[in-house]
Amino acid sequence: MTAATDKSGFEEELAALIVSSLNLDMKPSDIDPLAPLYGDAGLGLDSIDALELSLTLSKQYGVQLRADDENNSRIFASLRNLAVHIQQCRTK
Amino acid sequence: MSQEWVNRPERSTVGIIRFIVWFALTFGRRASRLLLYPICLYFVAFSSKARKASRLYLSRVLGHPAGWGDIFRHYFHFASTILDRVFLLSGRNELFDIRMHGVEVFRRVTEAQQGFFLISAHMGSFEVMHVVGRDLGKIKATMVMYEENAQKLSSVLKSINPESNPAVIPLGRIDSMLKIQEVLDHGGCIGMLADRAISGEKMITCDFLGGKMAFPLGPFRLAATLRRPIILMLGLYQGGNRYDVYAEYLGDLSQVERAGRDAAIAELVQRYATQLEHYCRSHPYNWFNFYDVWR
Repeated sequence: MTAATDKSGFEEELAALIVSSLNLDMKPSDIDPLAPLYGDAGLGLDSIDALELSLTLSKQYGVQLRADDENNSRIFASLRNLAVHIQQCRTK
Repeated sequence: MSQEWVNRPERSTVGIIRFIVWFALTFGRRASRLLLYPICLYFVAFSSKARKASRLYLSRVLGHPAGWGDIFRHYFHFASTILDRVFLLSGRNELFDIRMHGVEVFRRVTEAQQGFFLISAHMGSFEVMHVVGRDLGKIKATMVMYEENAQKLSSVLKSINPESNPAVIPLGRIDSMLKIQEVLDHGGCIGMLADRAISGEKMITCDFLGGKMAFPLGPFRLAATLRRPIILMLGLYQGGNRYDVYAEYLGDLSQVERAGRDAAIAELVQRYATQLEHYCRSHPYNWFNFYDVWR
């Protein structure tokens, strides 16, 4: 794999959280901030992983994802999108 | 293979279903059951793939090579539960002798107003469980299934009873998962069938009826992630007008730490497979699997 695109400090924190909360068999530095988190390409998370992640994010940052939010697939499109969303909406 | 199964009800067009519903409600259960004999004979004779799978399953579960009579009986059980849907969905519960076993397990979760998972299988009758759930005090399961199947189910049910309104969450999207969480947070119940994997889903191989079969991990991963207990429920057909509804506590992974979770999930799926095997042995003609699932 080529070196991942450089991550911001917050993206690195988030990547570490994803790896630990989903018990992934990889290093946080392996996560490309622009690659899709969800689906077969990229990180390959499925919808149950996404749910687990959303529970973790709500505990850690107070960000509540809602079922009727049309932006969910955009939010989970990449580590970078997720980081931007959390920084906009975090209450903790 | 598994897709083929879910496509089956679609073959019966809405017109045929309407005719059967009309016939059943006009001439009654006894007369319409007579129709099942030629229908089942036809399918036993001409559905060679399904017949082969039925024979494989029955030979395992009965412990001897299954004969034509066994296969016919398997098909007849399947057809009977489908016909009885018509009567159950039309509120004709008095036609049936429905006995409940172990349903006190629901008190534990409903008194605490705790959301829970109701796991079942492609076995016996779902409608009879629905009747029991309603009698027990408004236990209404929100079914989780693939969108395509949900639409098919809804069109079949609506052609039987236009007022039927099954609560369904389509699977596969992040939103679906958040909806499941919402239902549970409101003390609701999420129903899933866990004996058939859909292609692309994560699976695990379990011991089942002396062989190996792949079971979907999804329902159990969900229960672990959302920290909810799982109750197993089956509505099994006994022949005649009798149904037996069984409920039992399957497990709860809510206290399991993340590190040990995968092992705990694997153990729970195997427990499900073991219980399914138990009910297949006690009610061998009720597992409606007409595909070769053995590994």
